[in-house]
Amino acid sequence: MLQNYFPILLFVIVGLLVGVGPILLGWLVAPNRPDPEKLSPYECGFEAFEDARMKFDVRYYLVAILFILFDLEITFLFPWAVVLKELGAFGFGVMVEFIAVLTLGFVYMWKKGALEWE
Amino acid sequence: MMEFLQGILGNEAGLTVWTLLKIVAIVAPMMGAVAYLTLAERKVIGYMQVRIGPNRVGYFGLLQPLADGIKLLLKEIILPTQSSKGLFLLAPVLSIGPALAAWAVVPFTDKLVLANTNASLLYIMAITSMGVYGVIIAGWAANSKYSFLGALRSAAQIVSYEIAMGFALVGVLMVSGSLNLVDIVNQQGHGVAGGSALSWNWLPLFPLFIVYLISGVAETNRAPFDVAEGESEIVAGFHVEYSGMAFAVFFLAEYANMILVAAMTSLMFLGGWLSPFPASWGVLGASGFIWMALKISLVLFCFLWFRATFPRYRYDQIMRLGWKVFIPVTLVWVFVVGVWMMSPLTLWN
Amino acid sequence: MSFPTVVFYVLSAILIFAGLRVITAKNPVHAALYLVLAFFTSAGHWLLLESEFLAISLVLVYVGAVMVLFLFVVMMLDINFEKLREGFWKNAPLAGTVGLIMVGEMVLILMSPEASLGSYKGAAPLAADASNIRELGRLIYTTYLWPFELAAVVLLVGMVAAIALTMRKRKDTKFVNPGDQVVVRRDDRVRLVKMAAVKRSEPVAEAESADQQA
Repeated sequence: MLQNYFPILLFVIVGLLVGVGPILLGWLVAPNRPDPEKLSPYECGFEAFEDARMKFDVRYYLVAILFILFDLEITFLFPWAVVLKELGAFGFGVMVEFIAVLTLGFVYMWKKGALEWE
Repeated sequence: MMEFLQGILGNEAGLTVWTLLKIVAIVAPMMGAVAYLTLAERKVIGYMQVRIGPNRVGYFGLLQPLADGIKLLLKEIILPTQSSKGLFLLAPVLSIGPALAAWAVVPFTDKLVLANTNASLLYIMAITSMGVYGVIIAGWAANSKYSFLGALRSAAQIVSYEIAMGFALVGVLMVSGSLNLVDIVNQQGHGVAGGSALSWNWLPLFPLFIVYLISGVAETNRAPFDVAEGESEIVAGFHVEYSGMAFAVFFLAEYANMILVAAMTSLMFLGGWLSPFPASWGVLGASGFIWMALKISLVLFCFLWFRATFPRYRYDQIMRLGWKVFIPVTLVWVFVVGVWMMSPLTLWN
Repeated sequence: MSFPTVVFYVLSAILIFAGLRVITAKNPVHAALYLVLAFFTSAGHWLLLESEFLAISLVLVYVGAVMVLFLFVVMMLDINFEKLREGFWKNAPLAGTVGLIMVGEMVLILMSPEASLGSYKGAAPLAADASNIRELGRLIYTTYLWPFELAAVVLLVGMVAAIALTMRKRKDTKFVNPGDQVVVRRDDRVRLVKMAAVKRSEPVAEAESADQQA
């Protein structure tokens, strides 16, 4: 089984090199004449007022949590979907129950307005 | 060939060099395809807007991608003063690495596949979910407000559509019973319609097909879901501070991801390398890489068409579509497919 | 040394380096990114143990989802790092003791004769087409049915808790529901008022103002 993953390891390395290569090449070939105005962060001609790394809406955080939960749900669905034909109606019922519990949570967050972006 | 290499280099080194050659044989045409996809985009959108698009560099503008590449190569790579320099340069690498590494398991025909693993689909999901780091790190490292806003929007959007995409994949897995992409395509080859276009997954799994296609557009931050780089409000979003080759790498990653999504759509819903005609039709009915290429081109053309046609979605509309429309639709259809498979009317045995 | 062993040592070196950087990096965003690297390399370790599903799930769930949340939180927090480091030397002895106890416990377990790690030969290499996803699927949904359904409840609790903790209704929002927008009819918005025609009373003044404009 491991022999199947050897090309993947190589491919990941090649993929990263394809990213590094052009940047190195650009650094070698392109001119490099820094200038304080040129290097200042883009802000429509103003001087930057403050650090750009500001606090942001807690909603993004909520989206990330909900994403984790649904991602886990999908991870549980994958092996199930692969063997569904073997498991038959029993396996289907098991998953219906699993999804039903989580749909409860989905309905709760919908009703609570956690999915509203106004 | 492999034996020859192993003969002169020894067993392990021969295998490594041979595999590297195969990887180059995938990556090099990919880069060419990416370059000409940018030209195709400008041409297609040009004609849709009654312009002719680029036509000065080379006959019919065919050398335009080359000219663009050389121009970007000769531009200075700017490192903004207040940025985190290391992360700033790491971000484009992290964005193209996954976009290319996913191609390791993509089959081009039933024989032509680099790594035919049993978890291909899962691998692609996992590796593409890493692409979000390029965006987040780029936005954070540049220390510019536009970048930061773009990165946040993009990250929340990508993760939201990944869920709908995952549920759509579950539907495909249920009917094919395998995570192996070759098996998924082969399963579409024997249906009630005898392996022609009507037996492919797009028909019985139609809602999942549509959800996957649209989520694919959203995952790659393409119009009409391109609020992450909405040029009219946050100028270019997460890569506003990038220039020269560092920007070019982001650009390559975006287009490589587009081609990947198109390839996945054709493999999972459009029968991959299978011919749309019944096998009894001779040359037309024979399967082969040409069909796969045609299907990828078709999906890519749709991507360009969407960009030329639809106005940009508002951010709350994007989130609403992802969470309140696509997730319920996919959940319901996964349930329907389950009942369908359990009933005597099942198409998939 | 065989190739998998070399890979193992390379991955282990990266993992230890990344782990150290997680706790020594001054910038929390850097620390979080080193944690991503640590997860990624441990996925490599699991792959070497031939458990592909767990390895890829680790990348999918931890790298692809959990660490995105971590990064969001770390980027969102406005921490004063100088303040955070103030109590370092005061707490160091206690932290060191806890660390030493944990190391001792791990050594005890790994060296104990019951674990017999010395005689463990490692898993037999699986065939190229062996699929442990299928095996897992056969077990989770039949033998381990009860823990599986409990997992659903745990996820449900997580969802409810996340919403209870982070939901804030904003009061200054000008949100309009698109559904309401679509179903609106003319009668809801426009009121036609019938009025009797009014006769002009001062034609002379009107003419004067017209002259001024001209």
